[in-house]
Amino acid sequence: MTEFNTSPGKIRGFFGKIGQNTGLFFAGEGRLFDLFKSVVKVFGMALIRKKTVKSEHVFQQIVLMGVESLGIICLVAVAVGMILALQAAYQLKQFGAVLYTGGLVSVSMARELGPLIAAILISGRVGARMAAELGTMKTQEEVDALTTMGLNSVRYLVAPRCLSLIIVLPCLTVISQVMGMVGGFLVGTLGIGIDPYMYVEKNFDALVIKDVYTGIIKSVVFAILIALVSCHEGLSVDGGAEGVGKATTQAVVTSIILIIICDCIATAIFYYALPG
Amino acid sequence: MNNETKNIIEIKNLVKTFDDRSVLDGINLEIPEGEITVIMGGSGCGKSTLLRHLVGLLTPTEGSIMIDGENIVGISENGMNCVRRKFGMLFQGAALFNSLTVGENVALPLREHTDLKDTIIQIIVKVKLELVGLTGFEHFMPHQISGGMKKRVALARAIALDPKIVFYDEPGAGLDPITAAMIDQLILDLSRKLRITSVVVTHEMKSAFRIADKIVILRKGKILETGTGAQIQNSKNSYVQQFISGEPDGAIPLMQTSEAYLKGLLET
Repeated sequence: MTEFNTSPGKIRGFFGKIGQNTGLFFAGEGRLFDLFKSVVKVFGMALIRKKTVKSEHVFQQIVLMGVESLGIICLVAVAVGMILALQAAYQLKQFGAVLYTGGLVSVSMARELGPLIAAILISGRVGARMAAELGTMKTQEEVDALTTMGLNSVRYLVAPRCLSLIIVLPCLTVISQVMGMVGGFLVGTLGIGIDPYMYVEKNFDALVIKDVYTGIIKSVVFAILIALVSCHEGLSVDGGAEGVGKATTQAVVTSIILIIICDCIATAIFYYALPG
Repeated sequence: MNNETKNIIEIKNLVKTFDDRSVLDGINLEIPEGEITVIMGGSGCGKSTLLRHLVGLLTPTEGSIMIDGENIVGISENGMNCVRRKFGMLFQGAALFNSLTVGENVALPLREHTDLKDTIIQIIVKVKLELVGLTGFEHFMPHQISGGMKKRVALARAIALDPKIVFYDEPGAGLDPITAAMIDQLILDLSRKLRITSVVVTHEMKSAFRIADKIVILRKGKILETGTGAQIQNSKNSYVQQFISGEPDGAIPLMQTSEAYLKGLLET
């Protein structure tokens, strides 16, 4: 009898939880969209009034985000390029087409892996930092202090971070694309024994300009996503250290999920809308 | 209290509920210009919530708040930012920006809200730091100075734009008695010399009686008693008396009677 009474309750609880979480998810996305609108508004204002977003804040963030992430991006991109070259050669060997390794590496790095590696590394390195920084500011009442001084936190904290990431991520993406090809070149020539001249020729033969710019367009979208998600998570922190930890994790997880979903959609759009 | 004094803040029937839980329950309060009003009450009585309403960090469920003749309830963000330039706020934890130096913290409102030249801003920063007794600390980072100094820097930042009103959230919290007394003296000086209206939220009795022109005691989101320091000290209200003397037992009993305890257990 007891079991009969509790089980429907459990099911209700289970579905109730799904419903509650779905509601919370959409409420969260709604707030994210509101933040996006506020940032767009600030950028619009910045076009009219010069002082709106201060250049020194943007440059400061560019150094923190970009220059300090260069090493890690190069390292990972070279390693991925190497792996890609080895795996490609392993398969192409069966058809006697090892020579085309260069082309395969360059196209996959330019179109897909370059932007993706840069975005995922930056969401882990810069996104987490942004969320933790803003979250700590929120718990220490610094965000409230800004508000009571009549300074808009979106204009002062979110907009410079967004703008810097929109500048930095495409640059890092190009570096990641190139370094991936360098990794492929090293393995292709030194490891597999392809003639360096032939490797470079095949590498650039396969590459068209569209491969590079679709990668860069993607990186701009990723930059907006990472900055917005991380700032949003940071500014929604409630409670102390636990809240900051939670927000940091949430910022990275949500950014990576959204990056991959958006990548999927963007790739489909480029495939169908921009053939050739 | 002088009858001719104008009220710079008028709160009418302020109600705030969070998810059916009423935190402020019909507050009516006038804060006279140029004087020090202290809002007191036990933990959780709604005094910090009341302060957050006054600075526009929270919007009330009902009621109106007039600051210097302007109703800030339902006001636009831009309108509120204009009102905010008339006041400064000292947060409980000082809330200095850790990435900026002491000088930059004080200069921030000046840089953002005025078109003054940098050399002039530097002079104003020096004057404000001098006022709080921190001459020569411009280049220190917030983590290099003590808690009491941080509060004084935050006070210098709060008065950077020469506001009409300064709000203080627990100015003496977490400080030793001497530093807390120093902060009290600063509040008094600012009020007497610069005619700044001060609204202080605290639960420290000593500090309250030292500085207050008017004391407001809150309990469970309602105003229990209002008056001058002497009037509050002579209050007949048993809760006020218990609060002043800091006795563990009184209007709020330390130990429940066995009947009340049993009743509470059965209710849950």
